[in-house]
Amino acid sequence: MEPKPVATGFFEVLDQKGWHFLTSLLGGLPETVSVAVGSLLFALVVGLVIALMRLSRWRLLRFPAVAYVEFFRGTPALVQLFVIYFGFPDIGYQPSPFQVAIVGLGLNAAAYLSEIYRAGIEAIHRGQMEAALSLGMTPMRAMRYIVLPQAIRTMLPPITNISIVLLKDTALIFTVGVVEIMAIARQQVTDSLQSHVIYLMAGAIYLCMTIPMARVAARLERAKRAWQ
Amino acid sequence: MLQLPGIYAENIHRWLPELLYYSLTTLNIAWASFVLAVLIGLVFALLRTSRSQLLRAVAVGYIEVARGLPIVVVLYIVYYVPPQLMPGLDWRWLNTYLGAVLGLGIHGGAILAEVFRSGIEALHKGQMEAALTLGMTPAKAMAYIILPQALRIVLPPVANYAIGLLKDTSLCSLIGANELMNDAKSIAFAEYQPMAVFVLAAGIYFVMSYPLSLGVRYMEARMNLGR
Repeated sequence: MEPKPVATGFFEVLDQKGWHFLTSLLGGLPETVSVAVGSLLFALVVGLVIALMRLSRWRLLRFPAVAYVEFFRGTPALVQLFVIYFGFPDIGYQPSPFQVAIVGLGLNAAAYLSEIYRAGIEAIHRGQMEAALSLGMTPMRAMRYIVLPQAIRTMLPPITNISIVLLKDTALIFTVGVVEIMAIARQQVTDSLQSHVIYLMAGAIYLCMTIPMARVAARLERAKRAWQ
Repeated sequence: MLQLPGIYAENIHRWLPELLYYSLTTLNIAWASFVLAVLIGLVFALLRTSRSQLLRAVAVGYIEVARGLPIVVVLYIVYYVPPQLMPGLDWRWLNTYLGAVLGLGIHGGAILAEVFRSGIEALHKGQMEAALTLGMTPAKAMAYIILPQALRIVLPPVANYAIGLLKDTSLCSLIGANELMNDAKSIAFAEYQPMAVFVLAAGIYFVMSYPLSLGVRYMEARMNLGR
């Protein structure tokens, strides 16, 4: 195969096609962000349910919650995505790539989030719950108005960390057909053969999002420590 | 009623040996990149805590970048970028296996550097001074006073990192490394049995990682006893 006479030097390529690559890659940003946000919301809800089940008095509720957490933390997110995307058609349901991404990453993060919720709830002194109950609150109300508002303070830094992880995990979802930043990067590399500029640029885009988020997480962590 | 058309679990006897064979590659990648990550982590933890501002800045730059990038992106950059950046050199040594180990090692090095730093910083200087004043040699003080305390801080997060790493090796299939995930993909699509094969692969990952996480829990419980 004859090599095509294309520019290959890094700066040459950056100069000639950098803007084109950048705008194409940024075209995937909405998908990346919406999957990250969507799966975070999904995980926040599912994770809370799992955490409450895990703290329940009934073994019948505790056991499935434990099994859920162990399974989703014990297997790679990529395999989970593949089971949903390629496996579910086998049992008669074909989810869309976007659904797979949000549900797959969300279920995975929910397992980690439920442990964060649990630790946060357990860190609130028992006396708080007892006091609320003795004031005549139902357990649900006590959880909602007394325990959770206090627990959120300690949970905020780890939840920020989970959102960073989720944002980075969106780089996996090109494997299930979502056209986000990495999918476009791969497509551009196939078209132009300029892997160096494109992949480094994609990396820079991720860093522009994750480094500020990590700063926020560190600041929240410091604030929490000062408060405690 | 859900139909379950053609999930042929009876083919397990053909798939399982092959998948297990490739999970050895997974374990190899995991442990090689673990060693690399520990080495990189130690070096950058020392740089990060050094007195020179320049060295500290270098360490912070590396840590922020390598931790902030998705692992897939690190793998793609390590495997595809250098040969094109420096086409004059001979890049035949950079096969998918080495690319996987380098990529995971670079990413893990940044994580472990922060872990080791917290271990170093948690130790009060006074400990070493007190040990020396009591007539211990520096080596003895290190072995009996400093290291046992540092290990207690560092070991649980390192073990958690190792568990994460084992699962992250599945990403190496995306640059074509021939490990468990890649083999599962090829069986699944060759035999049109994605559900059965990927669930089986998930099971193998679980069997590999669960004992590790039980070990971590046991270790953490034992360490908290001493408090």
